[in-house]
Amino acid sequence: MKTVGIDVGGTNADGVLLEGERLLAKAKIPVDHDNLSGVIIALLEKLLGDSAGEVDQVHLSSTLCTNAIVNGEMDEVGMLVQAGPGLNPEFLDCGENLVFLDGAIDHRGGLIQSPPVAVVDAALADFSAKGLQSIGVVTKFSHRNPQVEQELARKAASFPHVTCGHNLSGLPNFPRRVYTTWINAGLKTRFQQFSEAIHAGVKRLGITAPLSVLKADGGTIPLERAEAVPCESVLSGPSASVMGALALTPREKDFVVLDIGGTTTDIGLFADGVPLMEPYGVTIMGRPTLIRALNTRSVGLGGDSEVKRTADGYVIGPQRHGVPAAFSEGKITGATPSDAMVVLNRMEGNRERATEALHLLLPNNPPEETAREVLLTFGHNIKLAVDQMVEEVFARPVYTVSALLDRQRLEPAEIIAVGGPAEALRGELAAAFDLPCEVPLNYEVANAIGAARTRPTLSASLYANSSDGTLSIPEIGLHEKIGRSFDMKDAEERLAAAIRHLAAQAGLEGELPPVEFVEREEMNTVRGFSATGKVIALKAQVQPGLANV
Amino acid sequence: MTRYMPQAVRKTGLILFPAFDWCITPDHPEREERLLYTRDQIVEEGLEDVDGIEFFNPELAAYADIDRVHLCAPSSKALLTESHLISAGGAVRAAKAVMEKEVERAFAIVRPPGHHAMQTVFGDRGFCVANIEAVMVEYLRRHYGVRRIAIVDTDCHHGDGTQDIFYNDPDLLFISLHQDGRTLYPGTGFQNEAGGPAAQGYTINLPLPPGTGEEGFSMVTDRVVLPLLDAFKPELVLNSAGQDNHYSDPLTNMNFTAQGYARLNKAINPDICVLEGGYSIEGALPYTNLGIILAMAGLDTGNVREPDYDPQRFVQSALMNGQIEGICQNALEIFAARKKWDTSVCRGEEAVERKSIYYDTTGFGVDQVRHYKLCPDCPGYTEVEASGAGELLHGFTVPFNACSRCQQAARDAFTRAAKAKGSREQVVLQDRVADIYETA
Repeated sequence: MKTVGIDVGGTNADGVLLEGERLLAKAKIPVDHDNLSGVIIALLEKLLGDSAGEVDQVHLSSTLCTNAIVNGEMDEVGMLVQAGPGLNPEFLDCGENLVFLDGAIDHRGGLIQSPPVAVVDAALADFSAKGLQSIGVVTKFSHRNPQVEQELARKAASFPHVTCGHNLSGLPNFPRRVYTTWINAGLKTRFQQFSEAIHAGVKRLGITAPLSVLKADGGTIPLERAEAVPCESVLSGPSASVMGALALTPREKDFVVLDIGGTTTDIGLFADGVPLMEPYGVTIMGRPTLIRALNTRSVGLGGDSEVKRTADGYVIGPQRHGVPAAFSEGKITGATPSDAMVVLNRMEGNRERATEALHLLLPNNPPEETAREVLLTFGHNIKLAVDQMVEEVFARPVYTVSALLDRQRLEPAEIIAVGGPAEALRGELAAAFDLPCEVPLNYEVANAIGAARTRPTLSASLYANSSDGTLSIPEIGLHEKIGRSFDMKDAEERLAAAIRHLAAQAGLEGELPPVEFVEREEMNTVRGFSATGKVIALKAQVQPGLANV
Repeated sequence: MTRYMPQAVRKTGLILFPAFDWCITPDHPEREERLLYTRDQIVEEGLEDVDGIEFFNPELAAYADIDRVHLCAPSSKALLTESHLISAGGAVRAAKAVMEKEVERAFAIVRPPGHHAMQTVFGDRGFCVANIEAVMVEYLRRHYGVRRIAIVDTDCHHGDGTQDIFYNDPDLLFISLHQDGRTLYPGTGFQNEAGGPAAQGYTINLPLPPGTGEEGFSMVTDRVVLPLLDAFKPELVLNSAGQDNHYSDPLTNMNFTAQGYARLNKAINPDICVLEGGYSIEGALPYTNLGIILAMAGLDTGNVREPDYDPQRFVQSALMNGQIEGICQNALEIFAARKKWDTSVCRGEEAVERKSIYYDTTGFGVDQVRHYKLCPDCPGYTEVEASGAGELLHGFTVPFNACSRCQQAARDAFTRAAKAKGSREQVVLQDRVADIYETA
């Protein structure tokens, strides 16, 4: 099977053509952020030449949505939000067109009161008068009862695009649901244009293979399906690098992946060979969301970071110094880790200028020694960031006695480093962690390989209350009656069916990767003094992993 | 930069541990489901993302932390499950978070509760085996050198266990607001229960008539609780934050609300809260817990209402207001007449107190005699003899603020009792000054 993987980064876009696991070709072109689809098509052309028709699938990791959010280029969204009792919702900051609705759904999904019809109608009329194209509707606890969101969506059906909170995620967390819904609705137009341009471009090149985009959760989604959920494609860069490291060095133990770049290092964690996920989702532009994501952290440590010397030692980053002395001309204004690498002959560059930069940093120290000390500090700082991440994972809240007693701290057995400075830092990283450190072959195109090798991911969540007789699977908008005898086995069956439904909806053909059930909760409900039923909560997911090739 | 999530005014720690796999019995009020809806509400509100609200997992308390407080028969190891150690450990984690300045305030939303567990423990009473606040208090004293502590117990049931443990401790002001003991378990908490011989007026009971609502709680808070806290000047204020005064609680008869709990918490301004009872698990707890958390963090509580909340329903009668005014007046007089140990007493004198303690969960009684050994220099040590459920306990407790002579006297008395002990009898020395727990 021939697969293309494309990773659009901040400066360059990389592409690879794989046959199975084998790298057939790679290509790189500079990025024009105002014309990402053009960049992708040009890269495909360069990569494939005349063999465009032979490709079986194309996977894209694009910065389109991330850039649109960061640069404030989203559509204005008309937001209808029912908060109900709880935190004062006034803090929610998602544009000028946010209307709060009275009424409430409670924590068990009970409809306490519907939103007032007149207020909804007036809000929609106002949105329409303003020419808004995208509407977002969110209620608190819509993952337990999507009915109010569904009703609001029906009322807003005349708008070109409506996003409902419950369709994006079955997880709790109302503020995140609001922000996710707003972002998704706001990306609609741009993503549509991008998708159309890509489709037109690949058609022109003669590519007939299915197109997928990479998600932040280390999985892929067909491009057509992504038009409904463009938010899923934000921050896919770190997920490409994590999956790339896995593709280049598959392992079944606990390990750490480092993608060391010019400005930042992205850190990813694996437990038993499976990448760890964020508990809820990514945070983008300060807004927490329910966009499923790998647990990655970006720290301000890179080859071009600013290095300063203080009484306590070297301080590296988080600011970027700019182009390192070793790769530039003109006045030397500071030192970077890259200069240290050049001084130690671990990287190509102007060694004289690099030496001068380190001499300026610490005049009374031999530059080679300064260089070694800077890189040791670099390794040490990465170790601190990883330790903190491991601790945060360990400290995630648990709610049962058995989970508390069985908690285990992640114990990395190896470091996998990719990115430009990775090879030059290998010794320092191994020393800092006291672990083997591997820099895989082809590490410079790890992200594109990651994009290429990644398989689809899916997830769905179920909440059943046999005492109230209700079942909810928000991702597919399901809310229906169940009998008193509904049990965990029924829950698994319904959820597996939901995953199949989502797969079909996404246009995924053939056999699905295994579905696993996680986060089981089952509790008897008692009213008065007798048992009335059960509350059952369950999640199903197809984990991120490598596609069979 | 704009903030996209609310920011807490005071950094607040939450130890939210609902123990979904632990119950007394499956249909007992203290069952797996109890904090399910509270957890669901807190998570759905997004409190994990609020700037300045930190979540901590509980730790396991050590048996030594339990033995510093209780005299257990046959032993703490035999009576306490891991769940009890986690609940106590949750309270300890809250204390650590505050003392280590990880946060300014902390709230342990844990179960099972603790405030009915007395000094001697023979089993589970009132859903409690280990008094988790008391374990926290002695932990604070032992590890952080805190001396003066005030506990405001706002559970609807009288905090008889906490009262019992600190009854003779003038460095601990215990104020309990509860439904009148004539109408509710455990049937104690009257105003004449005002402290042991060395701590007269340091136990203040405020037994409120059934039906008391926001107005009545505000009255006792403003007229009694706040002035007493001002006068006592504690280093730390703790709140035993039971939530069964709520109008929807199935076990009690009060009329309190989520808005009321939030206001009460704002007024008392506790450093650490520990959840106690509260069994309206759907209609009250999700809202009352949220109200307390937001109040602690200094966030807006105005929108924390039960879905069926209507303030008109909770207006109190003039008769009830008059009754509560009388209770406030009595409490103020008791506190005004407070006195520590009598410096004129002769060493060797004692005051004796007899108690019958009923363990309702399994149903047995314990008869107990406590001898307060009087001392002119300190609160004195106590000797306690308790028997029930086939166990015979004979304990000697040296409080943390004891003088060295009392410490030695307790040691000598323990040695004598150990020599003379019968075959069924367990003799214990609990010395909180030296942090020793010895059995014979």
